[in-house]
Amino acid sequence: MVAHVLRLRLALLVAAGRAGARDRARMLAGLVFVVIGVAAAWAGLLRLRGDDDLAVQAVTVTGGAALVLAAVLAPPLVGDDQLDPRRFRPFGFTSRPLAATVLLAGLCSVPMLALLVIAAGVVVLWLLQGAPALAAVAGPLLGVVTVLLLSNLSGAATAKLLRERRSRELTGLFVLAVLIIAVPVGLFAASLDWGATVPAPLAAASSVLSFTPLGAAWALPGYAVTGDPMGWVALAVALVTVAALAVGWFVAVDRILHTPERPLPARARAGMSWFAVLPATAGGAIAARSLLYWTHDRRYGINVLIVPVAAVLAVVPLLIAGVPFELAILAPAVLIALFLGWLPHNDLAYDSTALWLHIASGVRGIADRLGRLVPIALLAVPTFALVLPLTAVLHGHWSVLVPLGGVIASLFLSGLGFSSIASAAAPYAVTRPGDSPFRQPQRTEGSGITAQALVMFASIAVTAPTAWWAWEAITVDGASAAVALLAGLGTGVLVLIGGLAIGSTVFERRGSALMEFAETAA
Amino acid sequence: MQGESEPPVPGGPATVPEGLVIPPKPPLPAASATVVEESVVVVDDVVATDEEDEAASASALEALWDDARPDDGVDASVPALAIEGLEKTFGGKVAVAGLDWRIEPGTFAGLVGPNGAGKTTTLSMIAGLLRPDGGTIRIHGVDVVAREREAKRLIGVLPDRLRTFDRLTGRQLLTYAGLLRDLPGDVVEARTASLSRALDLTPALGRVVGDYSAGMTKKIMLAVAMIHAPRVLVLDEPFEALDPASSATILDILRAYTANGGTVVLSSHGMDLIERVCDRVAIMAAGSIIAEGTVDDVRGESSLEERFVEIVGGAGETEGLEWLHTFSG
Repeated sequence: MVAHVLRLRLALLVAAGRAGARDRARMLAGLVFVVIGVAAAWAGLLRLRGDDDLAVQAVTVTGGAALVLAAVLAPPLVGDDQLDPRRFRPFGFTSRPLAATVLLAGLCSVPMLALLVIAAGVVVLWLLQGAPALAAVAGPLLGVVTVLLLSNLSGAATAKLLRERRSRELTGLFVLAVLIIAVPVGLFAASLDWGATVPAPLAAASSVLSFTPLGAAWALPGYAVTGDPMGWVALAVALVTVAALAVGWFVAVDRILHTPERPLPARARAGMSWFAVLPATAGGAIAARSLLYWTHDRRYGINVLIVPVAAVLAVVPLLIAGVPFELAILAPAVLIALFLGWLPHNDLAYDSTALWLHIASGVRGIADRLGRLVPIALLAVPTFALVLPLTAVLHGHWSVLVPLGGVIASLFLSGLGFSSIASAAAPYAVTRPGDSPFRQPQRTEGSGITAQALVMFASIAVTAPTAWWAWEAITVDGASAAVALLAGLGTGVLVLIGGLAIGSTVFERRGSALMEFAETAA
Repeated sequence: MQGESEPPVPGGPATVPEGLVIPPKPPLPAASATVVEESVVVVDDVVATDEEDEAASASALEALWDDARPDDGVDASVPALAIEGLEKTFGGKVAVAGLDWRIEPGTFAGLVGPNGAGKTTTLSMIAGLLRPDGGTIRIHGVDVVAREREAKRLIGVLPDRLRTFDRLTGRQLLTYAGLLRDLPGDVVEARTASLSRALDLTPALGRVVGDYSAGMTKKIMLAVAMIHAPRVLVLDEPFEALDPASSATILDILRAYTANGGTVVLSSHGMDLIERVCDRVAIMAAGSIIAEGTVDDVRGESSLEERFVEIVGGAGETEGLEWLHTFSG
């Protein structure tokens, strides 16, 4: 069976290149990417040769931990595992040999081969650093085994948990989550002061990682060189990790082979988009519908487009007026937070008369208010994950993130709170569904200027104290940075909760008035 | 590339969610005979096959009403709808002026009236979309203003000339409506399946509602109105833009609904339709009901249409148009 499965694995590898010109091109591009990545890793590792042992330790441990983490995250992103154990179910194999065979076959894949080559680089590096051969080989080897077991387990879990819910939307959410982690970490790593010595934050991170399942195996050679007795703890962690994962894998395969599979309710799930991802409650449904409209209705997109343009343009007059660059560069992040919080202040009006469905159903105000905020939250979190570190890099000091984070949290969250009230209390006419987003709506009363301005000024007003502390922290001394962050978070959360509560009550009380508004505005 | 993905599980309209498979019932009871009568003459064989289908779907829905209706403590002896002194004014213009109306449970009630008589305003107030300026509305004894959410749970609404979330597909829209009514996810899924089968919407569920024809839109909106198994259905112009076959399907479903104790209140311009299907009819003009009773009571000797024109006073108003008869050419 072993030879058979391995041959199947190789056949799959070769077949990937045969499928057609486009697949072949994609595979070649992937291969080139992997080769370059492996070469870069080798070059980087060999450059460390002769450096301080602690420096080598810091780099190999954090790098190894990142690879282990990638093993967990990759299967849900990539999906479809060709050697999924459940595919062997019809052949009646016994579970243990099959589990071992699938593991072995898993080693014969491009990513795992690349990992083996990189691990070999780590072994060579540590041998050159004078590590005992046993420790230099055992550490990276245990690391590779950990990655192999974890990626298989993660694949099995993905297949089990996501089989019914797999959809474009969910994959998008995963990619988003990875970006939210990867972008700030990458920017942070790039901005570190890579002089002769390893930056202190990285060294600290690696010493923590050495005692976690993520980094323990990779830390073994370093401990062997320095003779640190803590190495035994790392060894224990690494061995227990591998043992636990191995047991987990064999048990998982056994259960996969012995539990009958429920047929998929594919018919009902298909084409449900966000409805299949979000919880089956009124709030979840409203969130799903809002997300669908945000992504399909151009009227929402136009509003969002204005945000980055306005934010970037705001820097120019500041610079012309002579504001120093490191202060002017903080303006876009602040403006983006202000605009994103302000965006949903009229979201209800975009429903036009379709709003009747919410009112006739007696939807709870809180479900309506919260559900409508989900798209903007989903937009704002990655935006801030991108904008904040970028601002810090351009500004020059990462410490600016603390006070700036306070200001942004206050502006954005209180903006959402005030918007929740305004959209139920004072909606104003917008372009009708299906009309050009640039067309002026026919207004029967008021232009909505009051609601727009009130939401914006109210969120600026409640942010004023936070902004003062933040200004103090950035220009005078850093002591008030923490105060600014706490004040900002506190203000934002309080106003958001208050706004949601008031907005919900207003929505429930004013149902009839909202219908009359929708009918006259439509 | 072989084995890229598992083959989709085959499933057509035949795979029904468990617990909702109801054996087909023999053709519908007497009530439906009146409608079928007319169409039988034209397309004999079509009706024969359809009849079996519709009987099955109608009984599937009957089961839906039976198992679905919560123990809401509703007293069946109380009128399904009791309106007293209802008033509504829009910016100085009186739309509804002191309207009284009572409908017993299980009634198929029609509301007719000239354009601008206040029919839509009245139905909107019953549905809880507009708040009355004066008077009371009780649904099975539940005041629609004082106990708003409770009353809304008892009512299903099909409004006229209001938009819907038409960027959703049919299935998404029905799911949306069900979840807004706080139904559990699996119940929504099962009812979506049986409602779309009954209304012959299953093939269109994957399409965006904005692309539906006018008749299809009416049907999906009717499904939206019924998904939470309400006790009273408020339908504003449900047969406008519907072809006769679709009208017959919907009528059968509504009859089965009233036979099970549900109450239907609908407005229509089509007098002969009201005459044919409604138990009771109310004629509305200038914001109040001016004639109400069983269809026979109201129409008397003449047809409902003649009686309507007579009461509302449409005839004899062509004075002043004499110039039209003296052609200038």
